[in-house]
Amino acid sequence: MNDMASTTLAQRYKASKKSLFVWTLGWLLSLALFAFGPKFIWDFNVTISLCIIAVNVVFGYLMIIANKKYLDGLDELQRQLHLNAMAISLGVSMVFGAIYGLLEPARLLESTPSPSNILFLMGISYFISLVVNSRKYQ
Amino acid sequence: MKNRLKVLRAERNWTQSDLAKALDVSRQTINAIETGKFDPSLPLAFRAAKVFGLTIEQIFDDSEH
Repeated sequence: MNDMASTTLAQRYKASKKSLFVWTLGWLLSLALFAFGPKFIWDFNVTISLCIIAVNVVFGYLMIIANKKYLDGLDELQRQLHLNAMAISLGVSMVFGAIYGLLEPARLLESTPSPSNILFLMGISYFISLVVNSRKYQ
Repeated sequence: MKNRLKVLRAERNWTQSDLAKALDVSRQTINAIETGKFDPSLPLAFRAAKVFGLTIEQIFDDSEH
């Protein structure tokens, strides 16, 4: 709260955006490293894989904290826009995620459903909802 | 909720950005309040009253509800 009282919206936005970008990039890179490293870099060495998982979890935690600070620093309309986007994103992911998981047992999909597709859906629905809602208040 | 934000701002020759800076919100938020698309919280209404040197009732009117 003291931080918010002593800084302007623009200053908070700039600082939290930078922090969020850095930790999200770190999380993504460590995730990519864990996705491709075992096969292409360290030949499935368990110790190295566990270390990369630990790094990924730490970066993930810092990304979550940075995202929370980013939301705390927004003004009330911006927070409402993000809350709406989260609600849409959560709902869309739940509805389509549940159906998607049942496609293979129902023999409507040949490949095993991948959780990364749900993450992609969450991101896209969040972004679209944020853009559409923002335009309502322009 | 009706409000006199736009009129009060015009009387002082302030832009939406000037008022946004004074209230520590985005210009989009000022625009949304002025056009009646968004109702401010009580703390923001108090800040607006303080900035204009008026009471909340002199700026915001909820007689429609």
